[in-house]
This record gives sequence, structure tokens and C-alpha cells, in this order.
Amino acid sequence: MDTDRLTSVLPTNSPLVLSPSQAMPWREEEASHSMRSLAYFIGTFVAALMLGIGSAWYMIERGSLLTTDKVGPWSGWISEGNPNADPYTKAHVARSGRLPLTSTVARYFVAHTDSAGRTLTSACEYSVEGSPLNARWWSLAVYDEYGGLIENPSARYSFNSEEALRHSDGTFRINLSSKARPENWLPSGTADQHLVLLLRIYSPRETDASGIGLIPGDRLPKIERIECE
Amino acid sequence: MRVRIPGLYIVLGLVLAGLIHIVAVLMLPMLAPKSAHARLATLGPANTMIEIPAAAPGRQVMPMMAPDVRYAFCRFDLANGPVRLKATIADELWLIALYTPEGENFYSVAGADMKRAEIDLVIAAADQTVEEAGVDAPESSDEVVVVNSPVTEGIALIRAPLAGPSRATGAERALRSTSCGPYTKSG
Repeated sequence: MDTDRLTSVLPTNSPLVLSPSQAMPWREEEASHSMRSLAYFIGTFVAALMLGIGSAWYMIERGSLLTTDKVGPWSGWISEGNPNADPYTKAHVARSGRLPLTSTVARYFVAHTDSAGRTLTSACEYSVEGSPLNARWWSLAVYDEYGGLIENPSARYSFNSEEALRHSDGTFRINLSSKARPENWLPSGTADQHLVLLLRIYSPRETDASGIGLIPGDRLPKIERIECE
Repeated sequence: MRVRIPGLYIVLGLVLAGLIHIVAVLMLPMLAPKSAHARLATLGPANTMIEIPAAAPGRQVMPMMAPDVRYAFCRFDLANGPVRLKATIADELWLIALYTPEGENFYSVAGADMKRAEIDLVIAAADQTVEEAGVDAPESSDEVVVVNSPVTEGIALIRAPLAGPSRATGAERALRSTSCGPYTKSG
């Protein structure tokens, strides 16, 4: 703590006896001190407001180590939909406008980037390669950055465990591209925009100690960028 | 003039930022303007089963809805007594889930986990009693399931995941045969 700054605004530091000529400069100095204190107070308050709201926004929107599993590009809220969830998860769910199933019944993983950390965009073509998931049903869907489905001529917005073409070993490859592709083509639309992938996994067969659906990190698909326009 | 921010202000700022952070996180669920409950309330009255139109570009009731799941919901209101939800589970992939208005999923049941295809679910508030044959006898409790709701208003949501695009019509037809309404004994 800066004690000399603090005490200087108090009169105890001032000389006990003042001649009138000495009094004026001292008062000006005191006034400038209190002006500066006021500025500091306002500055502190504004900085605190930005820091407090900003950190809250980030931890609610994107999650933190406490609330989310992060594996490569994928991020999944551990207690999503759970009535006993922490306040960050509850705020995230309320703000999302969605009705997610509780994490003991389903797990949701969101990706905003490819496996190399580059933002997903419709200007690039991606290969999403995954292993079999130990669950009753799963679906991989693509959205624009606001969570809306993307217009395309084949009305294809997702691939699920029942319809995705798979290789003989159970692995699958989904081609996310604005142009028609063979195998599982997930169209990313003609508009130039950022993309979000959402992998929903219903009824995972493995659970952790608290009953939350367990999806081993290496099972989540890899998102490789093939080329960009 | 020395430009030096005294440590006092830094400490004060951090404490204040912490308080603002906590208040923001705790207040947000109540202040969220477009909650799922508010979005669904625009589709129709309470205590009625309503189909959600299949998600399509520019036409989504909730963000990030599954394009390959068909949904029907009942916005239940227990103010005038319990609410009964009846459905014939057409597919083992079906999921029935109950939510608070803030989106907490306090109850769910999967089609694959049920002994019978017909589900008869009575949603009751904590202070409402449901007298029904089978409720007090655990061995036949698969007849009627009574769920105690922590809230008087909430959402029951039925999900019908599709095994392929060709299944959509069948799933929509099956969802239309589900019902939701005020509870009457053995109704």
C-alpha cells in the first residue's frame, strides 16, 4: 500500500501552523490530490467492471478447465444440463437458449477450430475422421457461428451413427466442404462465414465415477484442413 | 508528475472485479433474454403437446437444434394440479426429458430402458399427491411413473432421433400421437 499517497490527502500531514501565504499552495495541492484520487477511483471501477464482466463472459461462453473437457479442437461441458451443475455451467445453458440433455444421458462437444487450432471457415475444406463411439446414437452437425443450419441444395445438415458411411473397421470420414464431395459430404454452404461443428452423443455406454458419460479423448474426430480457396 | 497506480487501487480493483464477476455469473440465468422456455412459449399454450417444426436454415426455434432429431414438447404448468404425459415409444432411440425453465434437465428416460412401449408419466409438484394404482406398489410401478418436479412450470421434451432422413415422416406421425394434459385419475 502506498502510505504517503494515502496520508497526504489527510490533514494530519499538514503543518500545524500556517501563515495565509503558505495556506493557498497547500490547498491547491490537496485539491489536485483529491482530483487524482477521484480519477483513480473511476479508473479502478471501470477496469474492475471490464475485468469482472469480461472474465464472467469468457468462462460462461467458452468454459474453463473447471467446467469443460477440452480435447484438441473439441470442448464439452462436463455438467451440462445437470441440476447440480456449477453456476458457470448453469449460466452457459440458460444463455444458450438450448435444452441439452443432462451429461449422464448425453454429451455434446463443440469445435470452432480444426485440429491445428485454425478457425473453421466455409472458405476451406476439411476432413473429419473419427473412430466408432461407444454410444447408442451420435450425430455430427455443422452450423454457422450463430448456431443456425446452413442452406445447401441437398438439405444435408448432419451425419449420424445410422447414416454415415463407414469403413470396415468402423472408422468414418466426413468431408466438410462447400463443393460436392464423395463419401459423406457435409456441405458448408456458399456464404463466406465461420463454422461450428457440434457432435452430440446420446446414451454413452461408459460413464465416469459420477455417472457422467465418458468419451475418451482419442475417440473424438480429428478435423484436418485439406485446402482453402 | 509521477504516473504510478497505487497498490491500494489494484487490490480494490481486483476485489471489485471479483464481486462483479460473481454477481454476473449468478444473475445471468435469470436475465438470459431468449431462454429456451421463452422461445417455446411462443409456439402455443401450456399443458398441450406441441410439435417443434423440423429445423431448417433460417427456421429454428432454438439455436443448434439437431437437424436429424424430431422434437415435441409440452410446457407443463402444475398450478392447477399434476400433468400427465402419455406416449407410445416408437423407437428405442427416443428420449423423454423434463426441464426447469432455466434448462436444467431434472428427469430423463430413454426408450431403450423402458419395459413397455407405452409410457404414462405423471408430473407432480412436491406438495401434490398422486393416488394411482401401481404407484405405491414398486413391483408394478412401470404402469405409471410419477415424477416430482422441483418447479411448477417447466418443459417436457420428447426427442425422436432419426436413423436416416427417410424416417422423418414416421417419427413425426409417432410424435403426433403423444399427449399431454391435466392429470385425471387413471385417465
